[in-house]
Amino acid sequence: MNQTTETNFADPIAVVQFLKKVEPFNELGISVLRKLAGKTILDFFPGGSKILEQEVSNVEHLYFIQRGGVRIESVDPVDGRTLKDMREEAEYFGTLSIISGGKSVFDVTAVEDTFCYMLERDTFMELIRERPDFAANLWERLSREVVGGVYEQIRSQKLQPRPEESLRLFNSPIKDVIKRQMETISADASVKQVAASMSDNRIGSLLVTDPSGQVIGIVTDNDLRNKVVAKGMDTSTAVRHIMSSPVKTISDEKICFDALVEMMHSQTHHLAVESANGISGVISAHDIMVDQGDSPISLYREIVAQKIVEGLYPLSRKMPLIVRSLILEGAKANDVTRMISILNDHIVSRVIGLVDQELGPAPYPFNWLTMGSEGRREQTFFTDQDNALIYETPPEGWDYVKDAKLFFRRFGNLAVKHLAACGYTLCKGEIMASNPKWRKPYAVWRNYFDNWMNAPEPQAVLHATIFFDFRAGYGQTELAERLRDYVVNQAPNRGIFLMHLARDCMSTKSPLSFFKNFLVEKDGKYKNRLDLKTRGLVPFVDFARVMALRHGLRETNTLGRIQILGENGLIPQELYAETMEAYEFQMQIRLVHQIRMIEEGKHPDNYIDPLELSDREKHTLKDAFEVINRLQGYLKNEFRVLE
Amino acid sequence: MKTLLEWLGFGKHELIVENRNYFKTFDRNKPLEDYEYVVLDTELTSLDPKHGEVVSIGAVKVKNLRIMMGGAFCCYARPSRPLPKDSTLIHRITPQQIENAPPLEEILPDFIEYCRGAVLVGHFLKIDLTFLGKALKKHFRGTLSNVWLDTLKLAQSYEEYKRRHVYSDDPVENSFNLNKLAVKYSLPLFEKHDALEDAIQTAYLFVYLAHKLKTTGCVTLKDLMVSQSNAALPSDQGYSTA
Repeated sequence: MNQTTETNFADPIAVVQFLKKVEPFNELGISVLRKLAGKTILDFFPGGSKILEQEVSNVEHLYFIQRGGVRIESVDPVDGRTLKDMREEAEYFGTLSIISGGKSVFDVTAVEDTFCYMLERDTFMELIRERPDFAANLWERLSREVVGGVYEQIRSQKLQPRPEESLRLFNSPIKDVIKRQMETISADASVKQVAASMSDNRIGSLLVTDPSGQVIGIVTDNDLRNKVVAKGMDTSTAVRHIMSSPVKTISDEKICFDALVEMMHSQTHHLAVESANGISGVISAHDIMVDQGDSPISLYREIVAQKIVEGLYPLSRKMPLIVRSLILEGAKANDVTRMISILNDHIVSRVIGLVDQELGPAPYPFNWLTMGSEGRREQTFFTDQDNALIYETPPEGWDYVKDAKLFFRRFGNLAVKHLAACGYTLCKGEIMASNPKWRKPYAVWRNYFDNWMNAPEPQAVLHATIFFDFRAGYGQTELAERLRDYVVNQAPNRGIFLMHLARDCMSTKSPLSFFKNFLVEKDGKYKNRLDLKTRGLVPFVDFARVMALRHGLRETNTLGRIQILGENGLIPQELYAETMEAYEFQMQIRLVHQIRMIEEGKHPDNYIDPLELSDREKHTLKDAFEVINRLQGYLKNEFRVLE
Repeated sequence: MKTLLEWLGFGKHELIVENRNYFKTFDRNKPLEDYEYVVLDTELTSLDPKHGEVVSIGAVKVKNLRIMMGGAFCCYARPSRPLPKDSTLIHRITPQQIENAPPLEEILPDFIEYCRGAVLVGHFLKIDLTFLGKALKKHFRGTLSNVWLDTLKLAQSYEEYKRRHVYSDDPVENSFNLNKLAVKYSLPLFEKHDALEDAIQTAYLFVYLAHKLKTTGCVTLKDLMVSQSNAALPSDQGYSTA
C-alpha cells in the first residue's frame, strides 16, 4: 500500500518548468524547484478582482503570475491611488509584504483573467533561510523595485534605471540609517506606559533596560498587539513579561543588507544596533524597506520624526528620488512642484521650529517668510534660499528694538546656516534672513512694499519678482497675512508700477525665430541650448504676477493665479486655457530634463537641448512659446504699454 | 483483510460502502469554495465499453477553488489483455510503462481513498466514470457514489449564458473540446504527456468556469449541478480525445 501511494503521486512538472523561467528562482536547482512545486497552489483571479488589499489582506503566499497580469497600487490619504508597478507573466509579487510583517503593503488587482501559482509564506521564509545566496539575489531585485527601477516600463522612456543608486540603500552602513536616538523604558514600566511612549515618540519599538541601565530586551508594537491586546492582558502588566529577551543585536558597521538577512534568520523585524559604546539604537525592517522608499509620505514621516536639526540635513537630498517616481507614475508637473514645495516647507518649518526651540522664546511674534519660487510653490531641485523674517513692530524705545535686533540676528543667521547644511544653497543676492535688511518688523516691511510700488525703478521690478511672491512660513502667520492684505489693497491702484511690471514681462521675447525655429544660446557653456526658464517659463510667471497684483489676488502660485483669473473672467477664456496648458507642459519638460541631469550626476539646470526632444515635444513646445506672444499682446493692451 | 463473502464476490469493498454512505447524506447547499474536488482524467485502450480498459489515471485536488499542484495522483495500470497495436487512444503511453505497471484493481483502492469525500470533476466525465465503474463493479462489486461535475457541461452552460446576456462578436463555438476551450478562455496550456496533464488542464478549466459561473448566480454546488443538468447534451463533435 505504501509503495503504491508513493508511486501514485506525481511531481508537478509543469510548475517546475514554470519556475525555471522566473528569476531568480531559476537559479535554485531542479531538486529545490521540485520541492517548491510540490507545495504550490494555483488560484484564479478574474480580471478586475482585487487580489490583495493594502493594510487589510494578510499575505500568506508569494504569488507567481502564470497567466495574466496585475496592477500594484498604493493607496494613501494624501496622494490617493498611485500606480506602483505592473507585473506580468513569470513575475511575482508579495515579497515586500511578507517581509514587512504580513499585511499587504499595496493594493494588487488583476488587470485581466489571471492565474497565479502561490507558495506559502512559511515555505518561502524557509527557502530564504536555507539559501542565503538566493536571498541575496532576491533582496537585490527587491531593493531595485522598492526604489523604482522597474517603473520604467510604465512611463517615460527617457529615464534610465539606476541600479547602483538603488542598491546604495542596501549597501549603506546601518549607522547611517538609524535616524532616531535610542528610546528605552524600564523593565518595570507598565504596558500602558510602553504604548504611551511609543506613540509620543512615533516609534514601533522600545529597548527595555534593567535598573542599571543595561539593555535586557526589546518590546515592539507587535508585542502589544499580539501579546497584550489579542490576549486581553492587563495594561498594568510590567513590560518585562511581554518583552523579547535577550535582544538580537547587529553591529552598526554592517550594511543594511546584513540587517535584513539577520532579521530573516531570527524571524524578527527589529534589531538592536551595537556601536563601540554599546547599544546605540534600533533598526527595523520598516526602516530599511519602507522608510527608505520613494513615497512623499515616507519622507514626510521622516521629517516630522526628526528631533535634532542635524537629522534633517540629508533629507532634502532624497527629493530627486521621490520626484522621479512621482513623474514615472504620471503626476503632473504642477502637482510635482507643489509636492516638492510641501516637503521643502516641512523641512524648513522643522528647521526653523528647532531653531526656535533652541533659542528660547522670541521677544516678539515673528514669521519666517518664503520668497521667490518657494513662495510660489514652484520649486524644482536644489533651489536657492529666498527667505526673510518679519516680526511684530516693537514699541518705541531703543531697548525694545535692540532686544529684537539681537534675537532675530542670531535666529536668522542660525536658521540660514542650518538650511544651507540641508542643501538649500545661499542666495547670491543675499535675499535671506541672515541679511539685516530682510529681517525687519512689520512696519518696515510695509514701507518697503510701499516704496517699491511707488518708485518704479528697475530695482523695484527685480524685487517685485522675488518679494511680491512671499508666503507665510513657520511662526505667526497673521503677520504675513497682514502684509499680504496691504499689498492686495494697494497694488491695484498703483498703475505705473503695474505698467512697469507689464513692460518687464514684455521685454522677454519668445524663444522662437521668425521661421518658428527655437532660438538657442549662440555661444558659451550652453551653446545650442535653450534657456527654458528665462525665455520660456518666466514670461508666464511674470504675466500671472502682474495680473494677480492688478486684481488684488492673494494667491502666489502661477497656475493658481491664472486659474483664479480665468475662472473669474479676468482674462479671456481662450488665453486662460492655452496659458495653463503651455505653462504645465514647459514645467513637465523642465522636470524631466532636470531629473535626467541628476541621474547623469550633473547639477540640474534649465538649458534644454532641442535635439533631445521628440518631434511631438518640439511641436508642443513651439505652441507653448507662441502663447508668450499672445500673453504679451494682451498685456500691451491691458496696461497701454508703449514699446 | 477481505471477508469470505467479499472474497466470494458477494460483498462490496469497505471503501465503496463507506463512500456510498458518505454521499447518501451529502449537503449540496454549501458555497463552492467549501468543497474538496478531485479533477480526473483517464486513458483508455478503447472507447468501446465492452473491451475498453483504463490504463492510466491522472487526478489533482482542488480546495478553496485552488488547485493543489502538489499531491497529484498519477498512475498506470496493466490491462488484462495486451494492447491492440493500432490503439491511437493511448499514444502517449509507452508499452514499458504499462508492462511494468500493476493491474488496475491494485490501484483502485488508492484512488477511491484519494477521492474520499470529494466532488469528482472531469471533462466529459461520463466516459471516465463508465470505464472506472466497470472495473470497480468487476473487482469490488460496487461503484463510485461521489457527486460529480462535468466541465464540458459547465462550459456549455456558461456559453449559453454569455450568448443570452453578453453581446459578443465571437463566432458561435460548437466545439467543447478541452483544448479548444482552454485556448478560447486563454488558459495556460499544458503539454500532453499523460492523463495527469489532461486532469490539470481540466482543473484549470473547472476553476475558471466556477469563478465565471459564480458571477451568473451559481454560488452553491447545487447551483452548478442544476446548471450542468440544463446544459444541452454533448454533441459528437464536442468530444474527442485526440
